[in-house]
Amino acid sequence: MVTGKSASSLVRYVIATVILAIMIFPLLWMFRVSVMSAGSSISIGDFFSSGFTLANYADLFAGDLITRPLFNSLIVGGVVTLGNIVFSLMVAYSLARYRLLLNKVLFVTVILILMIPAHIVIIPLYVLMLKAGLYDSYWALILPWLVNPIGIFLVKQYIESIPQSMEDAARVDGAGDFRVLFTIVMPLCKPALAVLAIQVFFTNWNSFLFPSILTTSDQLRTLPVALALYQGHQAIDWQHLMAGSSIAVLPVLILFVFMQKRIVSGITAGGIKQ
Amino acid sequence: MKSSKATALVLSLPWVLTFGVFWLFPILYSLVIGFTDYTLLGRGFNWTGLENFRLLFADPAFISALKNTFIFVGGTIPITTTVALLLALLVNRQFKGRGLFRAGYFVPSITSMVVVALIFTNLYQRGGYIAMLASMAGFTPPQHGFLFDSGSALYSIMAMDVWMAVGYYMLIFLAGLKAIPDELYEAAEIAGAGKIRQFFSITLPMLRPVALFIVVINTIKSFQVMVEIFVMTKGKFDTSTSVYFIYETGLTTQFQFGYASAAAYVLFVIIALFSIVQFVLLRRRQPIW
Repeated sequence: MVTGKSASSLVRYVIATVILAIMIFPLLWMFRVSVMSAGSSISIGDFFSSGFTLANYADLFAGDLITRPLFNSLIVGGVVTLGNIVFSLMVAYSLARYRLLLNKVLFVTVILILMIPAHIVIIPLYVLMLKAGLYDSYWALILPWLVNPIGIFLVKQYIESIPQSMEDAARVDGAGDFRVLFTIVMPLCKPALAVLAIQVFFTNWNSFLFPSILTTSDQLRTLPVALALYQGHQAIDWQHLMAGSSIAVLPVLILFVFMQKRIVSGITAGGIKQ
Repeated sequence: MKSSKATALVLSLPWVLTFGVFWLFPILYSLVIGFTDYTLLGRGFNWTGLENFRLLFADPAFISALKNTFIFVGGTIPITTTVALLLALLVNRQFKGRGLFRAGYFVPSITSMVVVALIFTNLYQRGGYIAMLASMAGFTPPQHGFLFDSGSALYSIMAMDVWMAVGYYMLIFLAGLKAIPDELYEAAEIAGAGKIRQFFSITLPMLRPVALFIVVINTIKSFQVMVEIFVMTKGKFDTSTSVYFIYETGLTTQFQFGYASAAAYVLFVIIALFSIVQFVLLRRRQPIW
């Protein structure tokens, strides 16, 4: 005899499992195709019957096809993340602790840009980079994103939640403003900065639109841009394309496994915007 | 306090510069050139007044892009929101393995859009997995694959977007569910209200602000759909969207900066109007359902 309660919990498991299969199958398929031998046409039965090879990955790393974009994504993502940590902290501290009219105005601009649809700057940013001679350079990939309104917003809220007494004590001891910020406030803000760093890195790592329109040479392609442009090339097949995609997804998956709590709290704290 | 004012300004400088150079200036510049015939190749530009806007609304490519954008927004948001809520309810109650299910549902939303679009281009192709599933369910899949057919391409991309987004909004719903005080349910229990009654009288009304927040941010995001179109169809098979149109007219072949900027402002006004309406609903005291 199955009791009513355990029957309903069985139903819950069955439904949850079916949905789980739907949600992760496409990613499993990507990994599966990435280890099939290249050149052969893929058919549906291959999920189980086809062989296993790492040759596609070896091919990608042997050429410039993926190493350069991987390097670019890491550099750009790293610099932008670092920039956001330092600059969000500075701006947020100013907005949280200095009650000035200017800061009130600045906070309004932060909220405005937080909500503004970014498509509005596609054309003018392209023109700006062109006229400034920064088009198709690392600067174009980095400069506009060094500090973003979500970061300022998150860190400002966090700073406002910590008492000011420690900063005051340090000031009495003769510490200057920057000293207070980087030796007292920054360590206290670590949880908020960690959440911010993950969000910024993920957004940047996955970003396609702006990196693709602000650069044109092969040397400056980030991973998503390179992958999107390889697609449709006669020279590349699904096996290699999926191996490249797997390389783009793996760092995100690994970070997710280790920092699930931080990622989730970042989302529930404000909701991310690309 | 002069020195503290100076310090505040120095600390704010990164945002003052970023805001001024990469946001305010481009936004205003775009507004100005929207009233000109500025292109990359032309020499200088002429004021054309409202001509760009008149041309836009007579341009079948723009009208069709706008239509597809509305289909995309109107089709995905109700489904995404409903499915996200159902998923949240499914994994809200404590049960063994709950964390695994939550993580699995969420994973697609942290994957790169380009990668997701590539995977689904493969799954949607002729003889691919989804064609097989469709045949098994008794449907005839499009002859050349789902993305090479005007009747199915846009809807296939929309389905992918729902798949990708539901886990993200599920997490926000879960946070909303957690914020509902247990006392409400206990009181309802004592008053003799059943589970279904509790859902409609407590859970749903209490989730209203969260649901509207989700709809607001998803609306702003969905109106700007572009990357998946670029990767999967390049706007062919009746899948071009507003932002894809902006990209195509402004940054390919003819580089019509002025015309594309005008289109960007039309979309901007549409998004702003939708957001304002949603904010008004968000602030209303009485529930809308």
